[in-house]
Amino acid sequence: MSEHAQILPGTLDLLILKAVSLGPLYGYGILLRIEQISHGALLIEQGALYPALFRLVRQGLLKAHWDTSENNRRTKFYELTIAGRKRLRQEEDGWNRLVTAIASALKAQPEEI
Amino acid sequence: MRIFSSLRAVVSALFHRTQIDKEVEEELRAHIQDRASDLEHSGVPRAEAERRAKLEFGGYQKFKEECREAQGTHFLETFIQDLRFGLRMLRKSPGFTAIAVLTLALGIGANTAIFTMMNGLMLHTLPVRDPGQLVELLHHYPDEPEPGFNGFSWDAYQTMRDGNHVFSDLIVGTMNSFTVRGDKLQPQSVFGGGVGETFFQGLGVKAAAGRLIGPEDVHMGYHAPVAVVSWSLWKSRFDLDPGIIGKNIVIDDAPVTIIGVAQRGFYGLSHEAQQDIWLPISLGPSPGWGFGLLARLKPGVSIEQARAEMAVLFQTVVNAPDAGPFVRGMKLRIEPAGNGVTTPLSQMLSTPLTVLMATVGLLLLLACANLAGLLLARGVSRQHEMAVRACLGAPRARLLRQTLTESLLLSLVGCAVGTFVAYFAAHALIRVFASGRFIMGLPVHFEALTNPDAHVLLFTLAIALLTGLLCGAAPAMSASKTEPAFALQQASRIGESKSRRLFGKGLVASQVALSLVLMSSAGLFVEYLSHLRNLNLGFERNNLLLVTLKFPQSDDNDAQFSRLSQELVMRLDAIPGVRSATFSAMSPMEGPGASSFAFAEDHPEKRTQASINYVAPDYFETYGTPFLAGRDFSARDQAGSSVAIINEAAARDCFGTENPVGRHITLSHVTLTKGDKTYEVVGVVGDAKYNDLQQPAPPTIYADLLQQGFIGSQLAIRTRIDPGGIASAVRQTEAAVLKAVPIVRIMTMNEQIDSSIVPQRLIAMLSAGFGALGALLAVIGLYGLLAYTVAWRTHEIGVRMALGAAGTDIVRIVLRDALWMVCAGLAIGAPLAFWGKRVAGSLIPDLPVASPLPIVVAAAIMIAVGLIAAYLPARRAMRVDPMVALRYE
Repeated sequence: MSEHAQILPGTLDLLILKAVSLGPLYGYGILLRIEQISHGALLIEQGALYPALFRLVRQGLLKAHWDTSENNRRTKFYELTIAGRKRLRQEEDGWNRLVTAIASALKAQPEEI
Repeated sequence: MRIFSSLRAVVSALFHRTQIDKEVEEELRAHIQDRASDLEHSGVPRAEAERRAKLEFGGYQKFKEECREAQGTHFLETFIQDLRFGLRMLRKSPGFTAIAVLTLALGIGANTAIFTMMNGLMLHTLPVRDPGQLVELLHHYPDEPEPGFNGFSWDAYQTMRDGNHVFSDLIVGTMNSFTVRGDKLQPQSVFGGGVGETFFQGLGVKAAAGRLIGPEDVHMGYHAPVAVVSWSLWKSRFDLDPGIIGKNIVIDDAPVTIIGVAQRGFYGLSHEAQQDIWLPISLGPSPGWGFGLLARLKPGVSIEQARAEMAVLFQTVVNAPDAGPFVRGMKLRIEPAGNGVTTPLSQMLSTPLTVLMATVGLLLLLACANLAGLLLARGVSRQHEMAVRACLGAPRARLLRQTLTESLLLSLVGCAVGTFVAYFAAHALIRVFASGRFIMGLPVHFEALTNPDAHVLLFTLAIALLTGLLCGAAPAMSASKTEPAFALQQASRIGESKSRRLFGKGLVASQVALSLVLMSSAGLFVEYLSHLRNLNLGFERNNLLLVTLKFPQSDDNDAQFSRLSQELVMRLDAIPGVRSATFSAMSPMEGPGASSFAFAEDHPEKRTQASINYVAPDYFETYGTPFLAGRDFSARDQAGSSVAIINEAAARDCFGTENPVGRHITLSHVTLTKGDKTYEVVGVVGDAKYNDLQQPAPPTIYADLLQQGFIGSQLAIRTRIDPGGIASAVRQTEAAVLKAVPIVRIMTMNEQIDSSIVPQRLIAMLSAGFGALGALLAVIGLYGLLAYTVAWRTHEIGVRMALGAAGTDIVRIVLRDALWMVCAGLAIGAPLAFWGKRVAGSLIPDLPVASPLPIVVAAAIMIAVGLIAAYLPARRAMRVDPMVALRYE
């Protein structure tokens, strides 16, 4: 467990948007994609993915359609809308600023003050 | 709250909730299956893989629920949620809820009650084909105030039927009471009428059973002995027995066969006078000018075209050589009749109802303002709650909706209670209206006037929704505007924005303004009533007892009854406390009278419409009407030529300045004598009101009852003591002398006068009640606002007092605030009240609109009320302890 990081609240949406931005995916596929792109470092409670997906659909950031997965199962596929793509860019920028700020804050040495 | 879960189930079903749930489940399962397959591929046995997949997934039910929520809820579902919450909030503050619901119930109830009656009387369309095309014909004399009478001669009907090009049908009908018996029916009086051959066909009324009267049944001179009954008579007397067709019954001693039943809901030509039986027109008694006419306009013909053509055609009727003198000068009026023909009841009630409708409308507005104030104050106390909700992410629209739902909920509960109130109020009202004097024998169809139909329910629902929005909108806006951070910090301390305070004050001012209008109109009607009660009647109204007798309807015993009546008067005179007794054909203010055209000797061209009464000797002494010239009737007259006594107005109209005593006067077309009759004038008496309190005393001609051989059914007894005290002695004496003649009623003259002005009394009574209610609402509103103003100014008052302000200064501040609001309200209300008075004055003649008294009194009352409402909060303010107030922070 220790090698997994608990994701910060609010970042799940960002991760989903990112995962889907690489191509339409179904729920389980998104989970695998996040694992893959985070090199297995992020732990997501699997069920929590779905409420987030429904919320993003409702916000108009994702759109969904029913199709058959590569496992030959009927399931729902998600892809980014234009608004979703825009949001993803904003969130990425915001996240990067935050990370830079926090990182520089954490790097601060006594002599810098 | 089981009702909500079932409601929710309904909503779910309606909006495919289950379908969506199924899809969510399918998706989640697919996920678990995928995961299980992956695990299986990595070497875990299938069963174990599935178990682990489920475990990894987490709380399946919880996530399913979250998915459902994440999708957002449906409008209706949110509404039910809000409703539920609203109910909980209302239950939490039962005092507020009770006041609010009561206020609304009274406002909505009063409106519904009046509207129910208006709907039944004025707005209800006849259940016939294309009622919009129907018009009614009325005759009137241009120089008389009466609106017109729907009655024509048979000749007039035929002339107009055959000569017109504007009507597709001219429908003739009469209204009569029949005595019906036979086929297990007890002899009973049934109201109905005679119908012309095109009556049912022209109206487009269908038969519920059998067939209706048609051309084959009606021929002048020959009539088929057939009858049609109403559906309600069929139900109440025949239990909807299909065998009613072909039954033989006896109507007014003539055998007839029932041939059909009219469609359900059809009660004849007016909604409020219920007709239950119809005969071919020639079967009924043939009234001279008693044929009612209703016409159907040809398609494309306007009512103006019809008026123009028929006015010309009617002139040929009026100018016909054999037309009686009273027809001369008669004009025709044509009015829309889709709501039924004009009846005395609708004529009597339509103006009072219009006035009352306006009054209750104001009352409802007042209730709205009051409730808006209450909700506003409540909104402030809930500011903290709203702030918390806003902080937790509730969007503004959602808060707005929640508060609006609550006010709508209040108004709907108020509406439900109000409808209940209205049902009983309408019943009570119509009973009071109907307790008025005898309305020309028309049986009032009470159910039609008091039972709410779909229109009424829609109306009520509409005003309830409007009320809810009106009184909830501003408080809801203000509540949803809450700035969360600010409110959380300060809710307990400042609590008030300037705009909200102004709005609250505006509400109080508008309540004062509305109350002023209500109270001044109440004052106006009360003054009007007292004016009516203090009118100079031309006779002495106090200490006069009236007894109505019912003589049997055959002529055989008239002479004997006449003799016994005179004996009765002599015996009554002997009762202690009685000053004099007399009898007459009718008594003043009794109701319908007789009138005729009078022609003075030497002036045959000059026609005077005069009211007629037949009176016994001592009539004028008993009533207290003074003789101006000549003498009273006496026993000697019985053998001589016909004599009459006329009043001052008749003397002036017929003889001008000449002395009428000894001159002759001819009456034409008197109801009782049929034909012309000439009388010698033996006396002139002062003018006295005849049958209408509000009309000036008409020219009146009194003929000698005994000389004409009539019996008088109206006994009048002038007493020295309270007339009620001798009623039993009168009953005994009457029973002893006139054994076979029952007393129909005994009442004092004052009671009879009161029963002649029931609508006016009712308006005065109701508007006074509404005025008082309005004042009470204004007090509650003012008190509530001031009390809570003082509460949120506690801190400020404490500071002021700490800085040296005396208690009286504080009281002055609070009272000044109150006075300002009241004065602002009066400034707005006074012009409104004046305008309202003018409108009322245009509807009701003789209204004392010039008198400024009602408005002045109402304004004084409002100021007093304002000060009283302010007193308690002011006293509380004075007692604020500066230390406590400052520490309270």
